[in-house]
Amino acid sequence: MIREVAWRLFAGEYNDSRKELSDGGDRSPSYVLTPLGAKVNRLLVSGVLTDIENLGTETEPHFRARVSDPTGIFHVYAGQYQPLAAAAIAKIAPPAFVMVVGKARTYTTEQGNVYANVRPERIRVVNAAIRDYWVLECCRFLRKRLDLARAAHGLEAPTRESLQKLGCSPAAAEGLEAALQEYGKVDLSRYTAMLVEGLRYLLPEHRERAERPVEEPAAPTAEAEEKVLGILTALDTDGKGAAWDALLAAMAKAGMEASDLEATIDVLLDRGAIYEPVLGRIKRI
Amino acid sequence: MYGGHPPRATCSRVEASAPSSLDNPGQDPNRPKEKGSKMATNEMDSHVKEIAKALGNRVPEQEIARELENYVSVYRVSVDTAKRSIVKKHGGDPAGLLKAAGKTVQELRAGDNAVSLLARVVYVDRRTVNVPDGAKEILSGILGDNSGTVPFTAWEASGLELAKGDVVRIANAYTKEYRGRVEVHLGARAVITREPPEALPFQPRAPATGGAPVPATVSEIREGVGLVTLTARVLQVEPKGVTVDGATKTVHHGLLADATGRVQFTAWKDYGLAAGDALRIEGGLVKTFRGLPQVSFDERARVERLTESDLPGLEQLSQSPRAWIEDLAERGGAVDVTLRGIVVDVKEGSGLIHRCPECKRVLVKDSCRLHGVVKGVPDLRVKAVLDDGSGALSAIFDRELTEALLQKTLEQCLEQAREAMSVEVIRDAVTDALVAQPIEVRGNVTSDEYGLMLMVQEARVLRVDVQEEARAMLGELEESS
Repeated sequence: MIREVAWRLFAGEYNDSRKELSDGGDRSPSYVLTPLGAKVNRLLVSGVLTDIENLGTETEPHFRARVSDPTGIFHVYAGQYQPLAAAAIAKIAPPAFVMVVGKARTYTTEQGNVYANVRPERIRVVNAAIRDYWVLECCRFLRKRLDLARAAHGLEAPTRESLQKLGCSPAAAEGLEAALQEYGKVDLSRYTAMLVEGLRYLLPEHRERAERPVEEPAAPTAEAEEKVLGILTALDTDGKGAAWDALLAAMAKAGMEASDLEATIDVLLDRGAIYEPVLGRIKRI
Repeated sequence: MYGGHPPRATCSRVEASAPSSLDNPGQDPNRPKEKGSKMATNEMDSHVKEIAKALGNRVPEQEIARELENYVSVYRVSVDTAKRSIVKKHGGDPAGLLKAAGKTVQELRAGDNAVSLLARVVYVDRRTVNVPDGAKEILSGILGDNSGTVPFTAWEASGLELAKGDVVRIANAYTKEYRGRVEVHLGARAVITREPPEALPFQPRAPATGGAPVPATVSEIREGVGLVTLTARVLQVEPKGVTVDGATKTVHHGLLADATGRVQFTAWKDYGLAAGDALRIEGGLVKTFRGLPQVSFDERARVERLTESDLPGLEQLSQSPRAWIEDLAERGGAVDVTLRGIVVDVKEGSGLIHRCPECKRVLVKDSCRLHGVVKGVPDLRVKAVLDDGSGALSAIFDRELTEALLQKTLEQCLEQAREAMSVEVIRDAVTDALVAQPIEVRGNVTSDEYGLMLMVQEARVLRVDVQEEARAMLGELEESS
């Protein structure tokens, strides 16, 4: 079997993915399909590892790590099936520049929302120069995908064959065709902006903008915490915890922003007031 | 290629169609039974004649033809099986059929339990190996025919005399795979008969390709292309002695290049070639040699020296071209290319290893697969996975490169492993040095069913002026918007 390539792509594009493709069979590989047609089985990620949480136990750890790049955050999960990476994560003290090679996976909530995440095979602490080189590689490949997507949008009815005539490789044509079916003609300006953001991040003349800290949410208030805990209890009807989406919806109704909710949840998780029994569900202790 | 028998290509096509219809018996119940396995009359005729001959012409050809048709079209067994069954049924010896049932070396696939083959012994060596119930004498070496070469091991060697140059007909051998390469094993069931050398005439040209040469650039040269017409410059060439049919012959081996890449060549005639010559070769034959496509030509090809050509100069062509792994995968390997990528993994068997003193195979638990428990010779190597964003390949670093990478000699590594009481420390050091590292490497890329493999000749840490490229790309984007 030929080894799957490790895609270079930004969190911004990856996290927009809503579709996981599989040929069916148990052992056949699955692919996360991005709106620009990247068919990702494996990906190479670099950025700042900002925090690590152990969702498991001391003896059977299951780590969730966040890796931030110029466009967003990769969610990296490592448990018993990623022993090499889990052992490595346990030794990293955030914040640190890391490079992660991992498998692309999605998680679907009960409401049907899909979240793309990464199951790491290897994770290493790297220096800023390597992280920068990764950003540059992401820009090169994103630009290529954007050019092809733009050309495809110009076609009346883009098919694999017509895309190959535009200069797509057979694999790229297949991914792009699938993406056009799944997502339609997506707004490319969003990804052009990501590309520009990535390039500026590398340039000192734009550094002020690039180094702008990832928007720090305002410190959560005790009032917000009470509110979240109250709603959590109300939503946890079956003892399995509250679904993240339901919580998000309920808090929006109560007038709380998603970013504030996330910050509050983080504080509560840190304090041990709540935990995540399974991915995507929050429960009071 | 086997004297008066039908060409191989015809046989193998028929053989291939029969098992595939057997694989999916329930695929289309409405399909007429004859479809898919109908043979052209002349192919059928040659099989019938062969069966008749194996039966000493005791059975009328008409009857054989009817039976063969029945086996192949109604019962849909492979042609081979059908022929054997018919001969057996009439009390004959199916060994008389082996001529047509044989495979060429190139057609061998791993995992075949009954292989027949007509081949020449290219190299053979007798030795004793340690097996669980004591010492055992075996013969091992290399077999070859006009399609390629294959390593072999004869496990029942007592009384078996094989010498270099012998032409042998082998029946009931089995094949296995070792490191991505097919090997032929001769076990207790194998039948080996010696044939006169004329049974396998030397032919540098494969018989089944046929047709007119197709025009090709160097990057279009890959296995199975057959005859090509090519315009390229000689980068290097040197004479090499080879033994053909017991006689020594001088061939001229080297590298050809055009703007698309480079390829190895073998000239079977002395054209007086020199580095820098621009050539037009009409009717060069593409073959695979040690996992790399190669062009060979002799007096049957038209070789013309060009005084004027559009080819880039020698100096420009001598630079190792940058390549993407995706393109190499499609081409099936390339000679002397430069790749840029990031090491994403270091595999088992990297670091400090021990090799068999006889065959250089890597020992597993102090034991060689072929020679049993031996005293291993220490060595250093790295099997890394290099990924350039378009594809991935295995990159093999030899001892010298590994020493440079670790900045330690083999002796120092042995000492370090002794202190740690484990060779794992060396592999860990290799992993630390390589994983997540962008590198530029140069070497030959070969391909097999496991993918591509790069034998690294030169490696260096990749340093790219990230700002300069980012600035240029940003400028282009702003211009186009």
